[in-house]
Amino acid sequence: MSSSKLSIEKFNEIRQEILQTWPTGHGLSLEEGIAYQKAIPEAKNFAVAMRKASQAGKTLLQPRAGVALIQDHIKLLQYLENEGEADLLPTTIDAYTRQNRYQEAAVGIEKSLQARTSLLNGFPAVNHGLTGCRQVTEAVKSPIQVRHGTPDARLLAEITLAGGFTSYEGGGISYNIPYTKKVPLQKSIDDWKYVDRLVGIYEENGIHINREPFGPLTGTLVPPFVSHVVAIIEGILALRQGVKSITLGYGQGGNLFQDVAALISLKNLAHEFFAREGFKDYELTTVFHQWMGGFPEDEAKAFGVISWGAAVAVLAGADKVIVKSPHEAMGIPTKEANAQGLRCTRQAVSMLRDQKFPIGSEHRVEIEQIEKEVRSIMEAVYRLGNGDIEAGIVAAFEAGVMDVPFAPSVYNHGKILPMRDNNGFIRVFNKGNLALSDDIMAYHREKLEERAKAEGRNVCFQMVTDDIYAISKGALVGRPR
Amino acid sequence: MSATNIVLGVIGFDCHSVGNKILEAWFTESGFKVTNLGVMVSQEEFIAAAIETDAKAILVSSLYGHGEIDCAGLREKCIEKGLEDLLLYVGGNLVVGKTPFPQVEEKFLKMGYDRVFGPDCSLEKVSEMLKADIAAKAR
Repeated sequence: MSSSKLSIEKFNEIRQEILQTWPTGHGLSLEEGIAYQKAIPEAKNFAVAMRKASQAGKTLLQPRAGVALIQDHIKLLQYLENEGEADLLPTTIDAYTRQNRYQEAAVGIEKSLQARTSLLNGFPAVNHGLTGCRQVTEAVKSPIQVRHGTPDARLLAEITLAGGFTSYEGGGISYNIPYTKKVPLQKSIDDWKYVDRLVGIYEENGIHINREPFGPLTGTLVPPFVSHVVAIIEGILALRQGVKSITLGYGQGGNLFQDVAALISLKNLAHEFFAREGFKDYELTTVFHQWMGGFPEDEAKAFGVISWGAAVAVLAGADKVIVKSPHEAMGIPTKEANAQGLRCTRQAVSMLRDQKFPIGSEHRVEIEQIEKEVRSIMEAVYRLGNGDIEAGIVAAFEAGVMDVPFAPSVYNHGKILPMRDNNGFIRVFNKGNLALSDDIMAYHREKLEERAKAEGRNVCFQMVTDDIYAISKGALVGRPR
Repeated sequence: MSATNIVLGVIGFDCHSVGNKILEAWFTESGFKVTNLGVMVSQEEFIAAAIETDAKAILVSSLYGHGEIDCAGLREKCIEKGLEDLLLYVGGNLVVGKTPFPQVEEKFLKMGYDRVFGPDCSLEKVSEMLKADIAAKAR
């Protein structure tokens, strides 16, 4: 498949096929979906909410949430809206649906009915179908988004967009490499081309649908340049299919200066590469994810992590923050714990909203560093693709020129090893085949040697393990015991 | 004495890969010969790998909450294949929602697992227990 816009003939051909893959897809009408979306009030449109937040300099709050049964899911969302004061709502999709295992999801629904509690880790939207989705989207007042982790999300997109959701998370790279084991990258990129084209068709019919590539990837010591390259490329691939509203994401690293620099550079670099690809007509906003790695089990300590993430989101100027809960260490939160995370975040966000935090020299050094790293990888990607970003990123992953730390996919090189420097910045210890110059690597090495010296040990793999568990054990940098 | 074989993996459709990589490094360093099946491993794949490597234990991880559905029946399948003495360990965030650990443990012990661990268990203790359990089975 070429990297240009998907033709309507090809789109329709694929559409006929994928609607047949589960009974709830049979006979689904795109025209009826568009008509239904037209009747949704503007106040419930996700793309509009993101644009307004960005213009007003506000940071909107959004939780993650999803359970197996429709009525329970509605109660959960209403609770987060009313008691949690969420600005934006999610519907997190369960892990069976994410792997297109609708039969297993059906068993999960059945067992949840018997157990009178959710045995699924999300809402199986394909199984519940168009009517189930509309029951959910109609029961809430706020804009609502589909959040998942699905390499082939075509049927899910058809059903949920016609079902009234106005934002769709994911992308062909960010929902493959960190989320599955054996799906070839070109396959997921092609499948996401369909999703983006579907969103493009809604846009061409006057309906704004927000698209959000998944920023944090594996959520574990991901250096900013790694997630930025994926975000920018998924942004370009979406724009090519007619998407207009794009929210690019970044997961909190932990060092304030690096996190602020990351969000500023993400926006700058996205505009730079979107322009290089010839795009002008789009709305770009940002999302900051509170700490995605391991959490402390002590709920009081977890609130510390949550409120620090809330603060950094505002300082970094994010348009949206994705909120964690005090139950994070134990898995999926109760609705009460989820709302507590939201209220904790709300307090911090409101207290910081009117304060100004000028960008200083420490930020500028890191912004320049991230820009240098992203451009270095991007140039290698363009080179490998003979000027085409899509062919280039597939080749880059194959060669390890692009590499995501700790990812499960066999199509990821998996040689990059990140770790923290003495101030908690995430640096690269082993670059594998990443397209980073000696000059860039010398800088990382120098920073890591500083830490090694301070800790009286050599730079070693143990530091990586120590860093992965550091926050759950109460610190940012994994110092020797 | 040659190293004891163990099989490691994340069950079901769970793709949490970070802890799996750490466990592989840990148990290898502790002297085991680890067959790491990675993420998204079916019960059948666990058993096939255990038979192939003559493993003394299967270490099952589950982080995403579907553990209750995914882990049920593994013991019965092992018995069907004649692996009565195989040790089954399970650990992670095994159920949906914050649940007192004794309840989780009871549930999984009933399913036939020999040891059940929460997300915060000490790896030192796990490898000590594993060595002791394997030695006890050998007697």
